[in-house]
Amino acid sequence: MLECREITKVYGRKTAVDHVSFEIRPGRIYAMLGPNGSGKTTLMKMAVGLVKPNSGGFYYKDQPVGQESRKEIAYMSTEPYFYPWMTAKDVGRYYADFFEDFSPERYESLLERMELTPDMKTKSLSSGMMAKLKIAVTMARSAKVYLLDEPLNGIDLLARDEIMASIIEAARPDVALVISSHLVDELERMVDTAIFIKNSHLAAVWDVESLRVQEGKSVADKYREIYGHGEGQSC
Amino acid sequence: MLKLMKYEFRKTMFSKMILVAITGIFEIVYLIGVFAKKENLLAIGMMGLVFCAMIGIFCIGIESLSIFQKDLNTKQSYMLFLTPTNSYQVLGAKVIENGISIFLAGAFFAAVAAADITVGVLYIGGVKQFLDLLEQLMISIRVDINISAQDALIVFFAGLTSWLLTIVTADLAIVLSATVFAGKRFSGFVSFVLFILFDIVIGKLLDLLPSLDSTVMTYSMYICVAFVITVIMYLITGWIMERKLSV
Repeated sequence: MLECREITKVYGRKTAVDHVSFEIRPGRIYAMLGPNGSGKTTLMKMAVGLVKPNSGGFYYKDQPVGQESRKEIAYMSTEPYFYPWMTAKDVGRYYADFFEDFSPERYESLLERMELTPDMKTKSLSSGMMAKLKIAVTMARSAKVYLLDEPLNGIDLLARDEIMASIIEAARPDVALVISSHLVDELERMVDTAIFIKNSHLAAVWDVESLRVQEGKSVADKYREIYGHGEGQSC
Repeated sequence: MLKLMKYEFRKTMFSKMILVAITGIFEIVYLIGVFAKKENLLAIGMMGLVFCAMIGIFCIGIESLSIFQKDLNTKQSYMLFLTPTNSYQVLGAKVIENGISIFLAGAFFAAVAAADITVGVLYIGGVKQFLDLLEQLMISIRVDINISAQDALIVFFAGLTSWLLTIVTADLAIVLSATVFAGKRFSGFVSFVLFILFDIVIGKLLDLLPSLDSTVMTYSMYICVAFVITVIMYLITGWIMERKLSV
C-alpha cells in the first residue's frame, strides 16, 4: 500500500533518515517509535511529499507519492500550520474545498467531542486545543492511510481517551494508521505493529502479538531494550 | 487551481480593504473639493487618489511576494503542500491571482478616475472649464500628461507584463533560497540578492530588443518577449518546487 524504499534524507551534515525501508499494509495500526531526532517526523513528511528525499522514495500503490497520493493519505503534523486568520469553521471549509473524502458532518461532530466551537480563532487556541483541532480535521477525512505525528502531544489525560477513540474509529480493513508517539504504553493497547527508528536507521519492525508470543515482551520492553541506557524517552 | 486562487485572494483581502478605505477617504476629499469648488481640497483629493493607485498597485505585488516567502518558510506551507495539487498549480494560483488583482486594481482606479472626471465636468461647469482647472493644477504641481487612449492601454499592458515578470523572477529567487537555505534566518536576504541578480540579467536581455518604427510595435514586442521569459521562469520555479523544495 505505502512503501518506503531505501529512503535517505540529509540536512547539511546531519543524516536524518538513512536507507530506511518498510511497508505499511491496509487493515493495520502502526506505532512509529523512537526518541526525538531519530527521524520519525522526517519519514512522515517524506511520505506526503513535504520533504524531498536525497535518495530512495515513498511509493503509494507503486507510484511515487505526490499530488495523487495526497488524495488518499491524511497527515497530521505535530506543528500547528493553519492560517492565523482562520476559525475552526474556516479550517473545515478549507479541507472540504480540497479533499473529496472530507466529511463536514463528521468534522462538526468531532469538534463537538473535542469541546471546540466553529467560531474559535486558530491563532488564539492553546497547544492542547490546537492538537484537538488538528486531529478533528484530519480524522474527518475518509483516507486510506493516516499518518499522525505525535497526536497526543500537549493533550491532557482525559482528552487523550477522546482522541484515541476518534483515531480508532478510522480503523477499517482497507485503512492503515501510523501513529508516532513517545507515549509507548498508550499506544501498546491499540497497535498491531511497532516500527522502531533509531539514529536515523530502521532498528526493528515487530508485530506486537509476535513480540509477546516469541520474545515474551511488550512494546515498552522492546523500546527499553533498543533505546536503553537513558537514550530513550519516557515510556 | 480556482480554489487555491480563492485562498490566495483571501490572504490579501485585509490589505486590499485598507487600500479601498484610504482611496475612499481621498475620494471624499476630492468630491468635497468639487462640490464646494475648493481647489486645494480638489488637489489633495486628486493627488491622494493618484498616490493610492500607484502605491496601492505596487503594494499588491509586494504583498504577494511577502506571502509566498512566508508560505515557503513557515509551517503554513503545509496548507498548500498537503493538498492534492502540484507545485505548478500552487505557483500559478499565486501569479494569476496577483495578475488579476493588479488588473482589477488598475480597472478600479481607472473607473474611479472616469467617475471623478465626469463629476468634475458636471459640477465645475463644462468640459473645458474642468480641463482648464486640471491643467492649472498640473502646471502648479509641474506634471505634464499628454497621452492617447491607445498609448495608455499599451503602456498599461506593458506595465502589467513587466510586473508579472518581476513577480515570477522574485518567486524564483524565493524558491531557490528556500530550497538551499530552508529555515535559515538570512534566507529572505538571500532571496533579495538573487532577485536583484536575476532582474539585472533579464533587464540586460530586454535591452537587447531593437526599437521598431512605431511605439506600439516596440511595446508589443516587449510584451511578447517579457511574457515568454515569464513562462520560462514560471516553469523553472515550478520544477524546483516540485522536485527539490522541502518545506
